[in-house]
Amino acid sequence: MKTYIILPAYCEEKIIKKVIKDIQKEGYNNIIVVDDGSDDKTYEQALSTGVITLQHPINRGKGAATQTGIDVAKLLNADIIVTMDSDGQHNPKDIKKLIKPIIDKKADVVIGSRMINNKDMPKSRIIMNKIANIITYIFFGIMVTDSQSGFRAYNKKVYNSVYTYLDRYEFESEMLGQIKNANLKIKEVPIKVIYTDYSKSKYKHMPEFPAQGLSNGVKMVIRLIENSLFK
Amino acid sequence: MVIQIVVTIGVLLFILPNIYTSYKKKSLTRFGAVIWIFFWIVGLVIIWFPELIGLIGKLMGVERSIDALVYISIVYLLYVSLRQKIRLNEVNKEITLLNRKIALKNKDKE
Repeated sequence: MKTYIILPAYCEEKIIKKVIKDIQKEGYNNIIVVDDGSDDKTYEQALSTGVITLQHPINRGKGAATQTGIDVAKLLNADIIVTMDSDGQHNPKDIKKLIKPIIDKKADVVIGSRMINNKDMPKSRIIMNKIANIITYIFFGIMVTDSQSGFRAYNKKVYNSVYTYLDRYEFESEMLGQIKNANLKIKEVPIKVIYTDYSKSKYKHMPEFPAQGLSNGVKMVIRLIENSLFK
Repeated sequence: MVIQIVVTIGVLLFILPNIYTSYKKKSLTRFGAVIWIFFWIVGLVIIWFPELIGLIGKLMGVERSIDALVYISIVYLLYVSLRQKIRLNEVNKEITLLNRKIALKNKDKE
């Protein structure tokens, strides 16, 4: 089965090459990097590895970049699409676990959930994730353990019936809503997040500064309200 | 009286021709132009006959006629803000789609 890995990337010049190589080591060579208008050398770094690399002229957010990657995978007639974060926090070894239920035809969508085994996760992050799950349930009527996980696998049915318009992080919730409306089968599998020094420095607000996380949550709610008002 | 004359001249010499030019340049729709002309003509009528506000106030059930004007202005501003928000939302979506198309087109060229 043709599996494409999509990496939406923004200012990841320091790590993108390593992330791509780690994925390739696991045997996945169909990789699509969408540089979301970075102002560093992310695009050049990704391009030098030989994988499919696209560049948004301007930054539009993770949701927009992911959807661009999905469009490309669709053009390439992918059987399975896996979306991952490009900062190295997702373990490429988990890809196998994610795509197995799709290969076995037990699911159309598989979400890599950080919340099933969340012992190592900071408490503030757990709370924020739970709040995000409730927000997703309120706006889209679907409850999962990790609504904001960017590590997901989709089959053809999904990318043919789902198209997201939200540009930023809330697209993960929008996609779940559309998946629910299309009556597609969802499965969640546990994944472990790798908190490297790099990801910690990039997302330092998450574990140590819950107030910042809270402010992001509030912004997300505002954008979701706006979206529900102005379709 | 002087202020009424100055405003009337301003509207007739600058604002109405400006609306007409915008309509001709197609930066305003016919409906938009009519609404704006109507808005300014109503403004001129109120300037010349301020007692009309009192009538509107009575119709709306407010004591002071100036309150009626404030309420109408608030409703109008909210409407304008809503229209802008809707348009902004549309423009945002269009920018993202354009961004995507350019990215795909550039990839095709390679």
